[in-house]
Amino acid sequence: MFVRPSLLGGEEFGRGFRLQTTWSWSMATAFFFGEIGAGLFFVSLVFGFPAGLVVGLLLTAVGKTAGHLVHLGQPTRAWRAIYRLNSSWISRGLLAIVVFTGFGTLHILDIAGLTFGLLPHALSPVVTVLAGAAAVVVMVYQGFAMSHSTAITLWSTGLMPIISFTYALLSGVSLIGVLAYDFELQNAATLDVIRNGLVLYGLMALIGLLHSAKYNSPGGRLSAVLLSKASFAKWFILLVMVVGLIVPGLLATLAPRSLLLELIVATAVLAGYYSFRVLLLKAAVYEPIQSFLPETRLQRASFFEGET
Amino acid sequence: MPRWGMVFDLKRCIGCNACAVACKQENNLPDGVFFTKTLFEEAGDYPRVRRLYVPTLCNHCEDPPCKRVCPTGATYVRADGIVMVDERKCIGCSSCIVACPYDARTLIESEHLSSGLFGDARLTPFEQQGRSRFTAGTVAKCTFCHERVDAGLQPACVVTCPTEARIFGDLDDPNSKVQQLIRDRKGQQPLPEKNTNPKVYYIV
Repeated sequence: MFVRPSLLGGEEFGRGFRLQTTWSWSMATAFFFGEIGAGLFFVSLVFGFPAGLVVGLLLTAVGKTAGHLVHLGQPTRAWRAIYRLNSSWISRGLLAIVVFTGFGTLHILDIAGLTFGLLPHALSPVVTVLAGAAAVVVMVYQGFAMSHSTAITLWSTGLMPIISFTYALLSGVSLIGVLAYDFELQNAATLDVIRNGLVLYGLMALIGLLHSAKYNSPGGRLSAVLLSKASFAKWFILLVMVVGLIVPGLLATLAPRSLLLELIVATAVLAGYYSFRVLLLKAAVYEPIQSFLPETRLQRASFFEGET
Repeated sequence: MPRWGMVFDLKRCIGCNACAVACKQENNLPDGVFFTKTLFEEAGDYPRVRRLYVPTLCNHCEDPPCKRVCPTGATYVRADGIVMVDERKCIGCSSCIVACPYDARTLIESEHLSSGLFGDARLTPFEQQGRSRFTAGTVAKCTFCHERVDAGLQPACVVTCPTEARIFGDLDDPNSKVQQLIRDRKGQQPLPEKNTNPKVYYIV
């Protein structure tokens, strides 16, 4: 399908739809590392895999922090972002990252016996619960932060935090499949069931995301078309849906379990998830500012060439 | 306390961009940075084609999404309704730029401040004086020329407009020209479905 170029701006002073360009690779990378790290930590906590705790914590603490610092215009003032907990999901997220990093480290030191008696035994479960709860907030807050941007219909949906949570868990389950291949996990048999459930749920959530965008506003409809039929469709359908969800689901169900298989599944899931993060930023569309003008209604009437 | 707002009379706007030039001069805006723009569109089919001009600036919303998402409190609303950015608090996360449906905010980058109009990396004394008000890596936007408003003057774009297409005044005063125009000519807010309640109205 051909999207009329005039609808997508291109000219700074032209009236029409605009693509979001402010958040790009650095933010996508920060979101990606934040969610896969917290997801791996949470899954490792549930299934009792200490190495996953360390890797998950490092992915979030290093990868996410680096991505955000590259993005910020004034990185030395980043600490100020914690000031608006009452209204900003970025503030809440920063608090969650601090709590996650602090209590996550404490929990790892505790199970490794490296607290040297400084952490009372009775407080260990409290530290574990706080680290796990903060990991869950890190897994979902980016979805809430994006859904808070009502200007962009594609993002402004309650599905966003659910998708974040699903992808974080799926990445965590896939990574633990590789990292803990030779490790005797608690309830290991449930991992495959959970992974297949998350793949199915992720697919439904992505279809729901496109559906809600398409029927909520003209800008949302343009985003849905960009992702499903126009410029980004080949990436979204091939990388995000096929490589990132369908292939891992089929492989995990049909092929015999091996380290190579786990590696392929995890790589495919992560590649699909990173592509999703990037495409979600690239396909975000703003509405024409003066929606009440008749010309905009005309534009809407003949939205895409060839569409009936 | 007044509640400042603006009305754009689209029947009067001729797209001369004098407002944009006045704004750039008043605020000493770097190359590529605009606090107000006049968007254009060619509408209709031959032979009934016309060019439509739509001036835009920060809408100083009653419920600004930029303020809601700002993690540092750098974006705040004055008692008279003007939405401001405290650049000392801004961390340049750009979440306000993303959240604004009206494309009214700009991240000032170091290249903006280091290059002058004449393109040879040297700033004129006028540019040097003006650029000192900006900080690289922070967000800037239209403030309805708050220094002028505080001094009892009208914003630079309003004073400069040769066709009086921009009208500035107190939205709480039923006898103000802005209120009369909104009432009599059915002023419409941009993107009302976003529930931001802008203090900028368009009359067509």
